[in-house]
Amino acid sequence: MNLFVNGTERVVTGVWEEETLLSVLREYFGLIGTRFGCGKGLCGSCTVHVDGEPVRSCITPVNNIAGTSVLTIEGLQQDNEKLHPLQQAWIDERVPQCGYCHSGQIMQAWGLLSKTRNPTEEQINTFMDSILCRCGTYDRIKKAILRAAVMLQQSHDTNA
Amino acid sequence: MPDLSRRSFLKATAWIAGGITIAFSARLIKEKSVSVGPTLEFPNAESGKGWLQVRSDGKVHMLCPRMEMGQNANTGLAQIVGEELNIRVQDITLHYPTTSETAPIGFTAGSLSMMLFSKPVAIAAASMRENLRSRAAKINKLSVDEVIDTEGGFVILGSPRIGYQDLVTDESIELDFENSVIPTLYTFDPTRIKKQVGQEAEPCGIKDLVTGAPVFSGDIQLPGMLYGRVIKPPVRKARLKNLNFSAVQNIIGFFDIVRDGDFVGVVCRTPGSLDKVVRSVLIEWELPEPINQEKINQLLDINVALQRGDLPSTLQDENHNPSANWDVDLEFAVQLQTHAMQEPRAAVAHIVKINDIERINIWTGTQDPWAIKRHCADDIGFREDQVEVHPMRMGGGFGGREHYEVEQDAARLALATGLPIKVQWTREDEFRVARNRSPSSHRMRLACDHKGVLSNWWHAYASGYVFYSRSRLPDWLLPFKRSTAGGDFGVSRGAHPAYKSPSIRVEYKEVDLPIDLGVWRSLNGAPNTFVIESTIDELARRKSIDPVRFKLMNIPDSMARLGNCLKRVETMANRKSLPTKSGYGRGFACGVYEKNSFVAVSVDLHIDHEARKICIDRMCCAQDVGMAINPDQLRAQIESNLVWSIGMALMEKVEIGDGQIASNNFHNYMIPRMSDIPSLDIDIIDNPTIHPSGAGEVALIAGSPAIANAIRDATGLRLTRLPIKYTDITALGSL
Repeated sequence: MNLFVNGTERVVTGVWEEETLLSVLREYFGLIGTRFGCGKGLCGSCTVHVDGEPVRSCITPVNNIAGTSVLTIEGLQQDNEKLHPLQQAWIDERVPQCGYCHSGQIMQAWGLLSKTRNPTEEQINTFMDSILCRCGTYDRIKKAILRAAVMLQQSHDTNA
Repeated sequence: MPDLSRRSFLKATAWIAGGITIAFSARLIKEKSVSVGPTLEFPNAESGKGWLQVRSDGKVHMLCPRMEMGQNANTGLAQIVGEELNIRVQDITLHYPTTSETAPIGFTAGSLSMMLFSKPVAIAAASMRENLRSRAAKINKLSVDEVIDTEGGFVILGSPRIGYQDLVTDESIELDFENSVIPTLYTFDPTRIKKQVGQEAEPCGIKDLVTGAPVFSGDIQLPGMLYGRVIKPPVRKARLKNLNFSAVQNIIGFFDIVRDGDFVGVVCRTPGSLDKVVRSVLIEWELPEPINQEKINQLLDINVALQRGDLPSTLQDENHNPSANWDVDLEFAVQLQTHAMQEPRAAVAHIVKINDIERINIWTGTQDPWAIKRHCADDIGFREDQVEVHPMRMGGGFGGREHYEVEQDAARLALATGLPIKVQWTREDEFRVARNRSPSSHRMRLACDHKGVLSNWWHAYASGYVFYSRSRLPDWLLPFKRSTAGGDFGVSRGAHPAYKSPSIRVEYKEVDLPIDLGVWRSLNGAPNTFVIESTIDELARRKSIDPVRFKLMNIPDSMARLGNCLKRVETMANRKSLPTKSGYGRGFACGVYEKNSFVAVSVDLHIDHEARKICIDRMCCAQDVGMAINPDQLRAQIESNLVWSIGMALMEKVEIGDGQIASNNFHNYMIPRMSDIPSLDIDIIDNPTIHPSGAGEVALIAGSPAIANAIRDATGLRLTRLPIKYTDITALGSL
């Protein structure tokens, strides 16, 4: 079966077709940026996008999503020179502590910002509430999303 | 004279690459590490451990002595190196040594990093700077006084700038400053305008964390690697009763089953096939003793213990009068809580043969890599020099990663199969095997005079072991340590009163509970402070005295820094007034962690009857941990601690089911989420003349009592069982 991962067509064969998307990404393709947290879709550390929507890769059988486009944290950065605005905002706000959940946090946040350019705090709370961070970096996550929204708006204005 | 053996050792590890290396390994506090205990070789004030190097290109390299789990201690230490050598943190290259590349370094725990390492690192870097200065002076035939600091080098009047690269050559030199005079330490000079220390440095390695780089042990990939899992018994020391794995042979991806006594391991070609195989194995365990909540409650019951007389351990006992006229007499129950770090533990093990000698490499995220090395050697029958541990970043530690556990799974399966093995614990494994914070049962009594001056203090409690918990040490050693160690310091942490009282008794009983327990953020600091701060608040309210005034009146002069935090947080809280509607409340609490870290927290909350929820609206925190090396990361630690205090006060509890721990994932063990987080107002009290103390587990101790005190303010109810639920308020008929 085939998948388009970060814009490149990839083939999954044999025993790996029976795996979850998370397992295929990490152990078959070596894209280890997507992390394993709970295996039940409860914590969100494994969040990636499938056809533009954030999903929990740990509970997504890979054979259910044949032919789709998958975006992982490794594919988020479009420009070699520059981090994605969310990644940059995460650094500017010094969000990560242990750092383990943040691939999932950033992918979920992109799920919000790619559709809602100027989210309210309430919208951020609702959309991000399912992604756990045991270190408790939530306050900075919120600030980083608001900062990234401004950065995206600015680059949009420049390009327009 | 350079120490030849150490030099050849350093050369062998390819660390010496020309330039000048400073070794700060001498004069350690030598508490010899035995294989069964944690690694306790910390630097003392005049020496250090780790290595610092200026290479021939002038670049500064540092070997990091701390394990990373989010506290960014190495960034703080790099700031100190930067301050002493007049360079920026981003110009320092950090290296993370394996256990074969340096001598043992004490485990990363107890918020000790800045306290124990800041000065030795400063001394090493300052000695390096002064050596470079004397080289510059010698080359230019000047006295050292004429060689003036500048960024990344020195200046001499009328000459071009001298960079560090101009002062070092390809010849490698090791400085030994053991017997030399300690130079001026810029870090600890309160008159100096600092450029690195006290500034907001970007955490080292942060880019890796936002781009998904391989930094955790589960990210390691080796050619031919297989996936292993050990089937965990419900409790340690459960005996295997029945095992039937007849169904596994037909599962695609199955590789092998490894059985040795009660150890049952499975090896597969993919993580998914491993899940299927483990599900198909039929296994029955015989438990050494039954586990249920009722039994644990009985064992811990403080009133039963007190009826039998004095408790076995006394922390403080002065002029005690058991029949004093107690103004408050409260009983508390603190729950069983777990670390639930975001990363379930993982390890990769690989055995290689070099010159006919087997060596095992283990990649793991651990708070104590040298203990893992000793335990592994002991476990699989290797010599210690055949074991190399590659420490990886931890996806959260919180005290839960000091033991040889997932590493054992990987090492044994690698030994049995001869292949590289990755073991990724499931979340269920993590809950089952975690060494949780003990539940505890307290009774606290206080009396004061009519002005509110404390006259009598009596705190009695029972707790499971914390440091000397089951399986911390081998069975032959544990009873000896428990009886000779002078009490379990984890159990007594936080029980020393920060208030003065002419009559005082603090006593406790350590209970051997039939569940796995261990070290959790702050040990018993948070439970004990919860009890103390709740009781004092209650006393003040019953005497119609403002709780903050009451506390300030009873804090002794020796605790002025604590009083200062409390006054500061009161001012912060008062910047916003509390709605006068019913159901809104404000509470305060303060505490001291490990003698030198002071904190006070205020909480504004309201009871939302529609959502049936206790809603925290705002938290303020003032904290004084002496000199603030990296204020932004101190703030980050406070944010983390405040979030944890919400979990402790309102959400988290490990449930015990029939014969085993019932909580097994995030649907039945709730931790704080984004919508639970209030606005946070944080003030760091910087005390540049005071040596930095720990910050990783400080604000947590005051957070949960401040929440309970705010609930008291909002509802009139004193809730003494954690976690506090909305239904506890309605059950007691408030409002």
